Amino acid sequence: MKSIDVFGYSFNAIKLRKLRSALTTLGVIVGIAAIVALLSITQGLQTTITSELNQGLSANTLIVRPSSGNDIGGGFGQGISGTGFSLYSNYTTEINSLSPDIESSVAVMSRSGYIQTENLKQSATIYGIDFNQYAQVYPTFKAETGYIPTDPLENQAVVGTRINQPGQNGTIFFDAGNIINIAWVNATVLPPVDESYTAVVAGVLEKVGGFGSNGPSDTGVYIPIETAQSFFGTDQCDMIIVTLKDSDNATVTSVSKAITDHFSNQVSVTSPTAMIDMLSSVFDTLQLFLVGIAAISLLVAGIGIMNIMFVSLIERTREIGILKSLGMKSRSVLSIFLAESAIIGLIGAVAGIGLGYGLAAIVAQVISSGVFGGGGGALAITPLLTPTVIAGALAFGIGISVIFALYPAWRASKLKPVDALRYE
Amino acid sequence: MISKNVAVVEALNVKKTYMLGKVPVEALRGVNFRVNQGDFVSILGPSGSGKSTMLNLIGALDKPTSGTLFIDGVDIGRLNDNQLSDLRRRIGFVFQFFNLIPRLTARDNVELSMSIADMGKSERRKRALELLETVGLKERINHKPAELSGGQQQRVAIARALANNPKFLLLDEPTGNVDSKTASEVLALIQNLNKEHNVSIIMVTHDEKLARQAKRTVKMFDGEINSDVVN
Ligand SMILES: Nc1ncnc2c1ncn2[C@@H]1O[C@H](COP(=O)(O)OP(=O)(O)OP(=O)(O)O)[C@@H](O)[C@H]1O
Ligand SMILES: [Mg+2]
Repeated sequence: MKSIDVFGYSFNAIKLRKLRSALTTLGVIVGIAAIVALLSITQGLQTTITSELNQGLSANTLIVRPSSGNDIGGGFGQGISGTGFSLYSNYTTEINSLSPDIESSVAVMSRSGYIQTENLKQSATIYGIDFNQYAQVYPTFKAETGYIPTDPLENQAVVGTRINQPGQNGTIFFDAGNIINIAWVNATVLPPVDESYTAVVAGVLEKVGGFGSNGPSDTGVYIPIETAQSFFGTDQCDMIIVTLKDSDNATVTSVSKAITDHFSNQVSVTSPTAMIDMLSSVFDTLQLFLVGIAAISLLVAGIGIMNIMFVSLIERTREIGILKSLGMKSRSVLSIFLAESAIIGLIGAVAGIGLGYGLAAIVAQVISSGVFGGGGGALAITPLLTPTVIAGALAFGIGISVIFALYPAWRASKLKPVDALRYE
Repeated sequence: MISKNVAVVEALNVKKTYMLGKVPVEALRGVNFRVNQGDFVSILGPSGSGKSTMLNLIGALDKPTSGTLFIDGVDIGRLNDNQLSDLRRRIGFVFQFFNLIPRLTARDNVELSMSIADMGKSERRKRALELLETVGLKERINHKPAELSGGQQQRVAIARALANNPKFLLLDEPTGNVDSKTASEVLALIQNLNKEHNVSIIMVTHDEKLARQAKRTVKMFDGEINSDVVN
């Protein structure tokens, strides 16, 4: 019997048992949908996070912090490690001389604080930086409105887009050119005192996204480092960002070592590449785990298919007898049964991929709309449906269906025509 | 013209024993029997005498327990599963209860035996139409078995049996489930096939009158042939 006729015959048999076939297919649909949804969500998330990290942390940068072995700084680091070691802003000169592979370095101070205007009080992270150097390291340090002063006055500031538009819903509380109060709670004295000064907003940054953890942030307020030093009353900085001339692994490793050695292991040096690598491997494991769980539902679907095939075998014993009496070979009978489950698997997989992607899109929408982002737009995920996932889902859906149909199909093919014809 | 003496079926001491649990049931107790090309044989006998068993063996649906059965010159006892399937395609079998596939139309039922024999779509569609026309069912090609009368179903079964140009046609009680008018129509059809197309016919029946219409009548009793006469 020709394959096309085998499929035609099988398809006809499926059509006749619409409801039952639909229910069997539903099992496959659910299993495949679960797998596809999980995969496209996690892959989309991974891509979003990695790309935002890549943006926020150029691959050729190193972050130098006081060794965090037993940090007593608490909260947002005070730049003092357990060993009493502190980083100072002027260490950048020392660091620059450590290796010819170093392009430049920039010190960053940061404190939790808030800004205040007539009708807005908004918590923020206040960064003290050298605007020029910082912009060189991070291309995302770019003004959407206003500008980033190259030679800032001491009362000029640049703010992230969620500082002047906390809701990200079009309501702008202030803009470039306006005046705001920058404040922090100084807890280095007792009792803690609120300290503040008046600054002019020179520019508002372009939207960065949720993961520029060490780079520019939408919730950051950027002030000149000199202003920060006097405002926070210290020359200590929280980290020094080192830009390398290239992002080779060898360069990253050797410069990292040179810096840690120079500071007698009292600093920790992290490279974003390593961080992204680690994150990727965490994601891979997570994905494997989730897909493993989803695969169990497919297994259940497979057992459902096997059950249906047995019912079908019993119901169609006489039909099989007729087919064999007309000269159909055992292997064609086997093919007919396998083709039936393959068709169910194919339909289930295609529908499952569609449904799974749809689910992923809904979940992504929910996440992006801020249920988990804490106020909107922090994490824009686009579910990612790769050709590999599509091919895998198809293969898996059809494969499971066919594998579980093998035994019933084999039993059907082994029926003797006389016995099958006598069956009532 | 094919010689009268070419055997299409030759049974030599054929026995068939069924096992009912542990009890052996001897359905055929040593049958010797020969059908030549162009013969029209009717097999007559009481219920349980082994007629259907005999027909099933000739139709290559089963193998003898012992003895030798040549179908179209080959000993079916020596054939494997695949070879038996190939042989069945060259035999037209019309079952007592028609055995049409309920979900397929008359035309698709006839086409099915040709698609099993690897015939292409357009060719078999054309041939199915011709065959249904031959058996007088041109108007019913798109009806499913449940939408046809017993006699019409019978004729679809005959059209299906003829689809692959069989050497011989086996009919199990072809008129057992139809009225006498339909029965004589079916008989006329069979006789025509035998006379005009030289198709050998083996027909099982209960009906003495019908049996006498054949060229030869074989009487069975209790698993044996006890008479074989030319009418
Ligand atoms: N598969 C089987 N298992 C056990 N016994 C069987 C089987 N097939 C037939 N028999 C027995 O073999 C004997 C012959 O049966 P067969 O069907 O050939 O009779 P028959 O002459 O066709 O009868 P009828 O005219 O009623 O159709 C019967 O006794 C029957 O019970
Ligand atoms: Mg019988």
